[in-house]
Amino acid sequence: MRRRLAAMIRKEFSQLFRDVPMLLILTWAFTGAVYTGGHGIATELSNYPIVVYDLARSPASRELVSRFRPPYFKLVGYAWSDAEVVAALDRGQANLAVVIPPDFERRAREGGARFQVIADGSQSMMATIAGGHIAGIATDYSVERLERRLGTGGPGAARVPQVEIRPRVEYNPNLVQTWFSSLLEVFNQTTMIAMLLAAAAMVREREHGTVEHLLVSPLRPLELFAAKLVPVVALVPLANVASVLAIVHGAFATPIRGSLALFYGVTVVYVFAMASLGLAIAVLARNLGQAMMMLLLILYPMTLLSGALTPPESQGAVMRAVGLLSPMRHYVDFGYQVLFKGNGLAYVWQEVVGILALGIAIFLISVRRFARLVR
Amino acid sequence: MGDRILAIARKETRQLLRDPVYLGLAFAVPLMLLLLLGHQLSLDVKDLPVAVVDHDRSPWSRQYVDGFVHSEYFRLVGQLDGEAEAREWIRAGRARVVLDIPPDFGRRLSANERVAVGITVDGSFPSRGQISLGYVEAVSTLYSQQLLRAWLVEHGRWRDQVWPIQMEVSVWYNPTLESKNFIVPGMLVIVLMIFPPLLSALLIVRERESGTILNLYCSPASRWDIVAGKALPYVAVSFLDFLLIFAVSVWLFQVRFVGSAWLLSAGALLYSICTIGLGLLISTFTRTQLAAMLATFLVAVAPAFTFSGIFTPVASQDAVGRFVARLIPATYFMDVVRGAYLKGGGAAPYLPSLVALATYAVVVYTGAWLAFRKRVN
Repeated sequence: MRRRLAAMIRKEFSQLFRDVPMLLILTWAFTGAVYTGGHGIATELSNYPIVVYDLARSPASRELVSRFRPPYFKLVGYAWSDAEVVAALDRGQANLAVVIPPDFERRAREGGARFQVIADGSQSMMATIAGGHIAGIATDYSVERLERRLGTGGPGAARVPQVEIRPRVEYNPNLVQTWFSSLLEVFNQTTMIAMLLAAAAMVREREHGTVEHLLVSPLRPLELFAAKLVPVVALVPLANVASVLAIVHGAFATPIRGSLALFYGVTVVYVFAMASLGLAIAVLARNLGQAMMMLLLILYPMTLLSGALTPPESQGAVMRAVGLLSPMRHYVDFGYQVLFKGNGLAYVWQEVVGILALGIAIFLISVRRFARLVR
Repeated sequence: MGDRILAIARKETRQLLRDPVYLGLAFAVPLMLLLLLGHQLSLDVKDLPVAVVDHDRSPWSRQYVDGFVHSEYFRLVGQLDGEAEAREWIRAGRARVVLDIPPDFGRRLSANERVAVGITVDGSFPSRGQISLGYVEAVSTLYSQQLLRAWLVEHGRWRDQVWPIQMEVSVWYNPTLESKNFIVPGMLVIVLMIFPPLLSALLIVRERESGTILNLYCSPASRWDIVAGKALPYVAVSFLDFLLIFAVSVWLFQVRFVGSAWLLSAGALLYSICTIGLGLLISTFTRTQLAAMLATFLVAVAPAFTFSGIFTPVASQDAVGRFVARLIPATYFMDVVRGAYLKGGGAAPYLPSLVALATYAVVVYTGAWLAFRKRVN
């Protein structure tokens, strides 16, 4: 049994290594794609483009405008009429307009000054966050003006009670987005490639009709599946760790605090689970096109529910439960905990058990289905 | 020449119709993705687990913490004893935010002094970290405002409109800030960048793998006939996919649609031509279907998801992100889609985007035409 398994594995490896364009694409997936992906999705407010229509043109309004600063806001221009405000928002030059009425200066002195914020709701998530920031700006400015007027704030002056916050951010003190995004890209590539390579290795045999050769050979379904998995499980985790070291740590200077050995070990288990999922798809699909469709149907919900883009704690009960059935959800949690927080097995054993259990279950189910199909 | 293009298009159409599973999936899968994501997925950051280390345990500190309890953004998960426990909770992910209220919190506030609360945030998810810091700041500001008003009343300096600056917010284009109005049009752009190019990326390479490409090499059809003939039926499939998603989004999801359906359709047609062409271009370069699929994922799908502005506005991306965003058609189509669905108005503001899509199409088809050689190598 060992010899025929070894022969089959050798065949799989040589098939993989003969497709040179594909190897180049794989290399890009774990280098260039991770690098560009590192600059990707950020859900915080940064350089949010605003346009100002200042009808007051007074010191008070100028001071207010000066508070819309980077890194949160970027003043892209001034409007001189209502039409210009509308045009700037319609064309998307600005996502937010600040309109300051002519009586702003006088009202600010006497109390009750108002300014208007017009937010582009087509970016609803960002509009909400920006609104929160501006509320903060308005309050801070109000408090400062009150203190100035009441003669407070300076030494020996009257004092008002205020709560300040002194933030400390653990693990990523400056909240550098690239640390997070580049690692997420490694996880995404690992997931997609593990599924795709395994699915393609199997569907190819069906498309070319060579699956009949394999079925009449002494190879058993379990061995066939194992042979299809071995090259994927051997190569993808290595590429993953190499990418973490070279791009995430090397190019973006992300601190790696945890044990790489633990990370590698669990990545092997994860790739096994995802490759098994790829094989399960391959059992159902007749050709690569069909396999791809099914793969996408699994891949995108899995990516969006992985907890990386949207916090699991904010999802409804249904989506949270569905998320727990996805190995990616456990792996993303595991990966950030080990690499960023330096957590050991004592913290992540639940995620590891989750990945392992899901992987074994998927593998056994797909082997059994395949065995029944060929009988 | 037109006849030959049509002949090839007819052959491709017939091949597509003979694999009903494949064709069915090409329509069903985008729709299922949309149903799943448009309905269920929440992008809001809320119910964040927050823990409190209250060294003060006074009415003041309880009132402050109440602000968090009553906020929809936080969920109080525990009262902790000290900093060691707080670190442990952050580390294990049981709490994302820990408030550390100093022992003199109430005393200082009652003496009209400023007091600082320590906030520890889990930075391993930076966006979420920044958003939660913003929320903490908002809750604290609100509490400060209450204190200040009470102080002003107490000192007889509170008049009706004494609060110096107030803001009024109005939201345009999506007044209720419903996330479906934001996600569903965005997903339309992404979905049309996923399925059509993946379908067309297999077109030439599949013939190469199965050997039938030799028939094309020997046929009188020119390179351009072949590229155009293969693209034609798939552009039609992509456009039908668009019509289906458009109908479902407006009638089933009740997504706000105020603009011109003609503008949107024109954009979608150009976009479909682009995405199919991109797939064909990839198909001419690769030798196996697997390689073609992987390349499509990396060149077409992933950048659209990351850079098109569905989650992060292009203006908020860094230099690399903005550069990539300008290179991909999804960014331009996103502009047209969001405009047509939510903003309305004339087509004029979107002409540059339409021109960009057309330019992209010309570049991609020229590339495919040049790269496709009727040669055995």
